Amino acid sequence: MKLIPSALLAAALCGSPAMVGAQTANPYDGNQAAMRAGRALYATRCAECHGADAKGISGPDLTMLWALGTDDDFVFRAVRDGVSGSIMPSSSAPDTEVWAMVAYLKGVSTVSPVETDAGDAARGLELFESTCARCHRVNGVGGRLGPDLSRIARVRTRDVMTREIRDPSASVRAGYRAVSLVTEDGLTVRGAVKREDAFSIQVLDTQERLQGYVKETLQEIVSPERSLMPAYGPSQLSDSELDDLLAYLVSLVQADPDRR
Amino acid sequence: MLRRLAAAVVVALASATAEGLVAQAAGGAPATGTTVTYDDILQGLSDPTRWLTYSGDYTGQRHSPLTQINVDNVHRLSPVWTFQTGTMTRGRGFETTPLVVDGVLYVTGSNNLAWALDARTGRPFWQYRRNLPDDLTYGASAPVNRGFGILGDRLFMVTLDAHLLALDRVTGGVLWDVELADYRVGFAATLAPLVIDGKVIVGISGGEYAIRGFVDAYDPETGDRLWRWHSVPSPGEPGSETWPDDPDVLARGGGGTWMNGSYDPELDLIYWGVGNPNPDYYGDDRPGDNLYTNSLVALDAETGELRWHYQFTPHDLHDWDSNHVPVLADIEIGGELRRVVMLANRNGFFYVLDRTTGELLLGTPFSNTTWAREIGPDGRPIILNDGSQGCLPDPWGSTNFYPPSFDPDLELFFLTARETCATFVPEEPEIVPGRSSFGGVVWIDQEQGYSALRALDVRTGELEWEFEYPSPTFAGVTTTASGLVFAGDHEGNFIAFESATGRDLWHYQTGSRIWGAAAMTHMLDGRQYVLIPSGTTLVAFALPEERD
Repeated sequence: MKLIPSALLAAALCGSPAMVGAQTANPYDGNQAAMRAGRALYATRCAECHGADAKGISGPDLTMLWALGTDDDFVFRAVRDGVSGSIMPSSSAPDTEVWAMVAYLKGVSTVSPVETDAGDAARGLELFESTCARCHRVNGVGGRLGPDLSRIARVRTRDVMTREIRDPSASVRAGYRAVSLVTEDGLTVRGAVKREDAFSIQVLDTQERLQGYVKETLQEIVSPERSLMPAYGPSQLSDSELDDLLAYLVSLVQADPDRR
Repeated sequence: MLRRLAAAVVVALASATAEGLVAQAAGGAPATGTTVTYDDILQGLSDPTRWLTYSGDYTGQRHSPLTQINVDNVHRLSPVWTFQTGTMTRGRGFETTPLVVDGVLYVTGSNNLAWALDARTGRPFWQYRRNLPDDLTYGASAPVNRGFGILGDRLFMVTLDAHLLALDRVTGGVLWDVELADYRVGFAATLAPLVIDGKVIVGISGGEYAIRGFVDAYDPETGDRLWRWHSVPSPGEPGSETWPDDPDVLARGGGGTWMNGSYDPELDLIYWGVGNPNPDYYGDDRPGDNLYTNSLVALDAETGELRWHYQFTPHDLHDWDSNHVPVLADIEIGGELRRVVMLANRNGFFYVLDRTTGELLLGTPFSNTTWAREIGPDGRPIILNDGSQGCLPDPWGSTNFYPPSFDPDLELFFLTARETCATFVPEEPEIVPGRSSFGGVVWIDQEQGYSALRALDVRTGELEWEFEYPSPTFAGVTTTASGLVFAGDHEGNFIAFESATGRDLWHYQTGSRIWGAAAMTHMLDGRQYVLIPSGTTLVAFALPEERD
């Protein structure tokens, strides 16, 4: 890891530092050297809260910023000014360093749009409504037990979406891990764990009710390390059906590319 | 109370007789005119209305003799007041331990705020706020403070811009202000000063920068420096053979001394932990053991000379600082009463050393670490996994600086253990003064981490009991003679356990993670209070008052 002093960074990459002062476009956009410097700066100043992989620890996941419609200037200003009402501080770092960090973050962002000619989006819509909509919501319609998929094609590559459909338990996002509880009345409750501490557990049950339980009142808590979502292998969802489904999800973001 | 203080301040301004003022400010306490002497601190917690040093006494045991709150009634413990500091701690916690004298709490906070509070109500008498520069280095990444030291009518406090202050405990006014080191290079200070006879002992933070650590002693009256011991030797000094023959490397070798030490007044020895070498993860340019990083050192309190050292993690590559509270006790080992110093280390091992000689008496893992599982006959860990055999404890370690506790009756050592999974990727850093030089990045598997409160038998290091928390936790531990352990978790619970069994007896959701702090307990008006910092608040608990 090389820590590049800001003056050197500016001189080496872009000429006069004055050129990058109040611009809204990132002068280092796509610049590999700047992205490496930005990565080093990120590691020392941001990773403690946002994680070494920028996927978030106490601070939010930054790999989805651009996918969610954010632009370079917005990220620059968030770093420069901090985020009001949060522990995200303002920064007095030189513009060159902030832009280098922005370039790095954009580079690790899951922004690449899914390119697909395969599949029929209309058939995919039918599949979605019959198979997915009970738990997943699109544009305000559908279930809430799983993540909202309205913009999923912006934040996931085709490969990742395929993996999450074929083997959803391989990696389960916080807030969606399955749990099965037996209450003191003998009632079995299944749902997704939203939060948990040593004494209590907060669940969205399969009937979409937010339920909090004190652990000592429960007969049993079974927390399988898996997703509530069943795996859709080729026998449940053929490759061509998968193409249709992905085409539908991609069509959602293509139809409204500017929506955040 | 505030009116009474205001009147008192006028008196002080007019007559500058501070001693009478303290008594008036103490919420109706008799006008004893008390000041805190070295002998008072030496008495530890024998006066239960006081808590005069970070751990309660010089041993670092953080074990209170109080018994009003006990196993049978702790379930009735209730909040009495909450003090809102109004200051947030970016990425860290509210890590202080308040001191209490004559019904007045002296509390340091994040971002170098500090307060004197009425211990009955939590209402402030005064607030001190240091104007901090906007180019802090280490102090910007860890804007914390762990507490005051006290002597006479003076409070001692270190700052994020690496100064040591003496404050007037009646007014919060600054009496003297000395620079420990240049913060712009990477230094900061965060610990609670250790006050001994005629000396204020402090260490320094900033081991993630190209600094050279030290332990200092200052004159409480004048702020004059009495001695300095460097945690990384100069060229030619003993220990320098464990570094490359390069004065530049020694001059920036790291070795922060950022956590409180302990003191044995009979041996007149100070016990202090030393942190990681710099760069943290990249060691190719610093071959050797890198003494006295990752060590416990025993220093002559009079001169600051090194008496002995024990290095827990030679040539550290994982930021496993040894900045822990050393816990002193006299325990029977092999039919012989031994003066020992104990600590649970960030590297995952629990150690017992003879505190007169530094002889290793016990070194055994308290965590599931795969880094090493035993100490060899030469006193060095037998490394099984340098990271190539699977993940290692993360840079925060298998435990950390947050206080452990020791119950001498049960001979149990209590600590919050962290079980984590990290992959270290070292990269050569460019060394720039004022810029951190970790020397790589660390990938932490967020899904595998958890913590546990563990009770260890100090003769064997064996686990007596544990209580698991769902995520890695940074809360310290305090015990009482009534058989209680007060601990906490990352989810914000403040919890009381039965010391002997680990049974959880009571908990209170504070609303924010308990991070770096441990409870303090004291008597006031015949009532036992227990205080815990959490998030932006300090909360005081007691048993409900009996009402007619």
